[in-house]
Amino acid sequence: MTRAGHHRLCGSDVHRRAFLGAAAAGAAALVGDVTGIRILSQPALASELRRNDRRCILLWLAGGASQLETWDPKPGRPTGGPFLDIGTSVPGVRISELMPKMAANLHRHTAIIRSLNTGNGDHGGGSELMMRGRGREGGLAYPDLGAMLARELGQADSQVPDYVSFYSETEGRNFSRLSAGFLGSRYNPIELTDKMALPDVERLESIGELDHRERADLRALWSKRFARGRDVSAVSSHNVAYERVRGLMASDKLFDISTESQATRDKYGPTQFGEQALIARRLVEAGVPFVRVARAWWDSHGQNFETHQELTPELDHVMNALLDDLAERGMLENTLVVTLAEFGRTPNINASLGRDHFARAWSSTLSGCGVKAGSVYGRTDDDGQHVADGEIGAGELFATIFQALGIDHEKEYHVGARPIPLVNPGIVPVEEVLA
Amino acid sequence: MAYRRPYRMAVVLALLPLVLAGVSASRAVGVEPPAADAAVERVIDHYLDAGLVERQTPPATQTADETLVRRLALDLIGRIPAAVEVRDYLADESPEKRAALVDRWLGSPEYVEHQATMFNAMIADGEGDLKTYLQAALAENRSWDQVFREIVLADRSGDAGRDAQDFLRRRVRDIDVLANDVSVAFFGVNITCAKCHDHPLVDDWKQDHFYGMKSFFSRTFETGGFVGEREYGQIKFTNTTGTEREAKLMFLTGVVIDEPQRDEPSKDERKREDERLKELAKKKEPPPPPEFSRRAQLVETALAEGQRAMFARAIVNRLWYQYFGQGLVMPLDQMHSANPSPHPELLDALADDLISHGYDLRRLVRGIVMSQAYSRDSRWEGDQRPDAEAFAVAQPKPLTPTQMARSMSLATADTESLASVDDADERAKRIASLAKTQNADLFEQPGVDFQISANEALLLSNSERIEKNYLSGGLVKQLAKIEDARELVTRAVWSVLSRAPSEEEIELLEGYVSTREDRREQACGQLVWALLASSEFRFNH
Repeated sequence: MTRAGHHRLCGSDVHRRAFLGAAAAGAAALVGDVTGIRILSQPALASELRRNDRRCILLWLAGGASQLETWDPKPGRPTGGPFLDIGTSVPGVRISELMPKMAANLHRHTAIIRSLNTGNGDHGGGSELMMRGRGREGGLAYPDLGAMLARELGQADSQVPDYVSFYSETEGRNFSRLSAGFLGSRYNPIELTDKMALPDVERLESIGELDHRERADLRALWSKRFARGRDVSAVSSHNVAYERVRGLMASDKLFDISTESQATRDKYGPTQFGEQALIARRLVEAGVPFVRVARAWWDSHGQNFETHQELTPELDHVMNALLDDLAERGMLENTLVVTLAEFGRTPNINASLGRDHFARAWSSTLSGCGVKAGSVYGRTDDDGQHVADGEIGAGELFATIFQALGIDHEKEYHVGARPIPLVNPGIVPVEEVLA
Repeated sequence: MAYRRPYRMAVVLALLPLVLAGVSASRAVGVEPPAADAAVERVIDHYLDAGLVERQTPPATQTADETLVRRLALDLIGRIPAAVEVRDYLADESPEKRAALVDRWLGSPEYVEHQATMFNAMIADGEGDLKTYLQAALAENRSWDQVFREIVLADRSGDAGRDAQDFLRRRVRDIDVLANDVSVAFFGVNITCAKCHDHPLVDDWKQDHFYGMKSFFSRTFETGGFVGEREYGQIKFTNTTGTEREAKLMFLTGVVIDEPQRDEPSKDERKREDERLKELAKKKEPPPPPEFSRRAQLVETALAEGQRAMFARAIVNRLWYQYFGQGLVMPLDQMHSANPSPHPELLDALADDLISHGYDLRRLVRGIVMSQAYSRDSRWEGDQRPDAEAFAVAQPKPLTPTQMARSMSLATADTESLASVDDADERAKRIASLAKTQNADLFEQPGVDFQISANEALLLSNSERIEKNYLSGGLVKQLAKIEDARELVTRAVWSVLSRAPSEEEIELLEGYVSTREDRREQACGQLVWALLASSEFRFNH
């Protein structure tokens, strides 16, 4: 099935690439979608798409963590607040005293970016922007980071989920809508809120194991007969979806941390955030390309310092444990861990001793896969009011994430005739933090 | 309702080539074009057959009657047919039986309900709800130009306007979005590529066109739940060379509308206006209409002779896509000169026919489903399946959430009661009531290039909601009472797939049941599940 005008219109050289030509029989507006499925029948080309099993875990600090109480402290300044800074294992780099564990290990895996100016201080708009690398524009539903990575790093017939998101607290959950957008529901996240397990992966008691399997075989047989002579991508996607069922049902055990050693569980700690980070590690270990673990609610309009006194040490502990565990297992080479939020917080301290939304000068970190450990990029001015050096936006951060994972950020998807690159045109990665 | 004529239309960019989708040099087709008053289905088959000759692609055969009935039912009334409806059709020996069935279904309340759901997804697209409005409009086969008027004018004076205004109300906060959504829904063009720069792919689209379309909505605002329009306000934009320009009131074809000069109000006047609006909102009254309405100008311009082809072609393409699963122009929002239709004469002929018949959508739909092209088989027996754009073979279309829910409900219902009903209308009502919309929320609205997700497969495989609603009573209970395995599986296939099973299929299914004699009712449930979860059920083919 070829789109009307498709070949005539798409000027991109993506079209001329051999592996797409091979899939042209089923080409669709979203060219790659179909290739993703068909590619598997061509082993030589399939390897081209498998990027050394690279993975990504996003620690999403929902509500907006304060850069001043984490990665970019300003002690002694009017905007500094009561906490001090401490030296880190990287000479000359100091972070908040609330993060002693990361401070001790900063040189091992982590790069800090202190110069985000993202321009959207609204929870909804900021989340959309920072989960997609661009704002809402062009009448297009852009896919979020997880969907793009599921698409780029996952495998079409994968037996594990390719995009899982944890968001247990209720605050802010609706601000942070995830979606595969124009990539289609194939790449939508499995979102876990109250239950820490996949939905519909347990066989109902009313049907036995054998019957469950054999009725599925009957379904497959019947559907295969139907598919003969109906070689179109929607029909094949139906059967691919059912072929994934048993694998997904088996992946239920990935969510059960009771099989982990007590030592490992202790390392992450008994908190929900810690346990979810441990599950995230189990998931990426099993081949899930993208997991988001959200921790809410950092939105400290009042009592900013109490909030961060509670949340920052937890982040410090869990992030350090996660990096440590991934490194011990030899997985950090292939796994990128990102800390990010919809925005940071105002340097100015308000009358309620809070900090408000602030998107003009804030921080993010990248650790592990493809990252130059111990690097710090960008600088804010003395009071943290403006970026003084190395200003970047959401797009540059996304380009950097893609680059770290070995994905060409200039790669284009096609929505009908429109070429849509992974990040907006002209945007380049921050080479300074890349290995 | 009387509408003022456009104030004055002046084609300013006289040299601008107005080559919009579909307008292109006529291709020699070797056969005389059909007469101007030819039936729509003849026009369709004439042009498509000529195209197939040119491509040297013989089309797929006409599909079997039972498949045609299923296709018509899903497309026209939004559910699979009950077995009895298919049987009646097969038994009917009248040569006019297809037309009779199409007319009956096109005149049914189920058609109104289904088409309103489809249009609501197409126009509102999840942002706002036009369902009630569309039901009323479709029930009286309101013309498409009238629907466009009512949605874009959001006139509060009648019931129609009240229900129709949700489209504008939900978008008015972002005029860029509003202008684009109107362009996509009613003119088949996405204009946002021309917002920040001249359109990169379409030579005849400049930033002026984007800001021109935006200008029609720039005075629209919301107050107290109503959509109003001001008398003043201009849009300025900075082009790529950094020059600031004032946007003209320009339609997509390049036509510019002159409007009366209006000075910007003073601060005091604005303040008084705000107070007046607050008063009205308190009294729950709509704001007064402007003397000069830019939105009314858009409606009049878009529907004016010489301009309206764009509007007509857009709805023709939308409906064509709905019924064929592939538009005459793809993508649906790229109907412009750089993306011509592979069937330009057909698109133009259908648009002309629609205009000359008062934008009567039912006439168009009837023509589509009566064509030979519509009733081709979806299976391709040859080597290489032809491009969808050739329309040589039918495209399997994934069911929409409502089609899916209603069909699952009807397929697994207790249909015993139908046997005793002789009155056709009464029976139709009973069948419709067995096809319940509940659980439609479990399924995803398919877009272009839809891929079915693993979540859906998991849901069907393991959800208690599926088990309880579709596999525990009705059909499964009835099947379990049937002693003869052959009869049992035949009944199951008829109920779920609306056709008779082949000998081979009977054997296969009998085999499944016979190995489960100790748990017959469960076996029936599993059998029904396998058919219900099959691709044959999931698609309109």
